[in-house]
Amino acid sequence: MSPLLDQDSAFFDLAQRRNVLFYHKGYFSHNIVAAMGEVVKLQLEIAGVSGPTRRKLFSSFVELSQNIVHYSSDSLQPGNDGGGSIREGAVCITTDGERHLMMCVNPIAAEDVDGLRNKLEPLRSMSVEEIKQAYKITLRADTPEESKGAGLGFLTMARDASAPLEFAFHPRADEPGTTLFCLKAII
Amino acid sequence: MDNLYIAATATSPEVDFRFDQHSLLLRGESYPENAAAFYAPIIEQLRQYLAESAGAVTTVDVVLTYFNSSSTKMLFSVFDALDEAAQSGSRVLMNWYRDEEDETIFEFGEELKADFHAIEFTDRPVAHQGQ
Repeated sequence: MSPLLDQDSAFFDLAQRRNVLFYHKGYFSHNIVAAMGEVVKLQLEIAGVSGPTRRKLFSSFVELSQNIVHYSSDSLQPGNDGGGSIREGAVCITTDGERHLMMCVNPIAAEDVDGLRNKLEPLRSMSVEEIKQAYKITLRADTPEESKGAGLGFLTMARDASAPLEFAFHPRADEPGTTLFCLKAII
Repeated sequence: MDNLYIAATATSPEVDFRFDQHSLLLRGESYPENAAAFYAPIIEQLRQYLAESAGAVTTVDVVLTYFNSSSTKMLFSVFDALDEAAQSGSRVLMNWYRDEEDETIFEFGEELKADFHAIEFTDRPVAHQGQ
């Protein structure tokens, strides 16, 4: 086998061993999210995932992907004059026995790290009931000015997840003003 | 006033507001790029209709299979407008259709019932159509 095929085969073997149901790295626009949504629905159905779990995974997929469209700091159209947003990131769905892992990575401005951490950290110590209560309060509250998603997105993901959301920030050495934001939901 | 019809897309629901028949329908999935921009004109026309139709009996069929977080927020405003009309003498009969297995949409329906007492709310679980 040629070295090139060896490398390709290692990539596909790894994807298979990790039970990757879906992976996309690149640009995210609204139309791309809609098309990927169709793929994700089909993959989950073919994989035999139960209806309620499929719905939760699809919901988390949409929230994560729309976060990238709206908030990733790497925008393809710097001016964003009129056209929809197109921003960079990655999303991956894998299966681990009965659990499903949904992960996303996207660059954010380093100055936004504290704000995100302050939104996500309290969710980790909340019970399911507390998350549902916070969801109810946020649903009835006025939308924060900087938010396009009503501030409900992370609460929706926390509600659908079966374990606390995990997140991390990796400062980028090559771009001091940029940090990679990683978020993982177990469903 | 004119009826309002917006065809469904992959990410936005069908809106079929037949104001002349006091019959309103929302059907499909809702995760548009900008939920506020999608729903704001709909809510505006709905409010205008409700203002002009004091005392009417309006049927609202909601057949949404998925809505994202920002749509959820806007839907709350839709139901708020309907509840205000029902408090001031109109009747609003809401049919809340959902997959019988769908806890999320069931629970959102419960939220609506808890907040909007004047709407006559009927939960309509639909039997699951196989896999």
